[in-house]
Amino acid sequence: MNLLRYSPSRSYLPSFNHGSLLDELDRLFDAGFPSFREPARFGTFPVDVYHDQNSVTVRAELPGFRKEDLQANVADDVLTISGHVRTGNDQDQNAPKTETSIERSVALPENLDYQKIAAAYENGVLTITLPKREEAKPAAIAIEVK
Amino acid sequence: MNIQMEKTQTEKNPTAQAPETMRPAMSPRYGITEDEHAYTVTAYVPGVSPADVETTIDGEKLVVHAHRNWTAPESWTPVHREIAQADYRLVLGLDRRVNRDGVKAQLTQGVLKLTLPKAEELKPRKIEIAG
Repeated sequence: MNLLRYSPSRSYLPSFNHGSLLDELDRLFDAGFPSFREPARFGTFPVDVYHDQNSVTVRAELPGFRKEDLQANVADDVLTISGHVRTGNDQDQNAPKTETSIERSVALPENLDYQKIAAAYENGVLTITLPKREEAKPAAIAIEVK
Repeated sequence: MNIQMEKTQTEKNPTAQAPETMRPAMSPRYGITEDEHAYTVTAYVPGVSPADVETTIDGEKLVVHAHRNWTAPESWTPVHREIAQADYRLVLGLDRRVNRDGVKAQLTQGVLKLTLPKAEELKPRKIEIAG
């Protein structure tokens, strides 16, 4: 049975709905005091969400990833962005090699066209553009005067 | 060896420094490693294109200023914001261990790598016994 809405246990799920007061405080601290955050590649990463008439745009700061180590999925109106982190390097054989993933999820509105999602990775920022469905765009309604 | 390239206090007197922009700046996350030839500074500056990084050596200081050039189009309404809207500024003190002429910078997908070659007189050498 799959009646419960997917809700990851992360402390904050950016959403079009307002989060709890505690979440908002977390966000305020993260934005105001970036040094409180975990290092960029180990832990979480900052995400921005915008919308305009035609689309919803999600930007995520994920510096230094290779294309094949980044992934984005949409399921049940939740966009999940994940990055595969490898530490250790080829030059230093003794450096510990670990592999882990960092992940964020963004709750999306329901009016998006998932067939036309575009993603681009530039300067360490992943930008995902999710177009709104045609019928969801604002349309002027012609009024007939009788 | 413990690296002593300490971060120096940057904006003690902002007016004297007269930065070209009045945008706020934050220190990027960075780390320093070394091998026998060079120190390598790795700084995370996502959102910055290679053309917008300025690295200068001013006496005892290495100053990196990375400008975030991206702004959201006016028609976009922010729903949720976490990404800081500040430039990055990193100031490191240099001492005689660094060969200033050979400093190189490279930016790939938001990761800035600065290579600071070690000064020749610091590299290990063999001393021949005279006569």
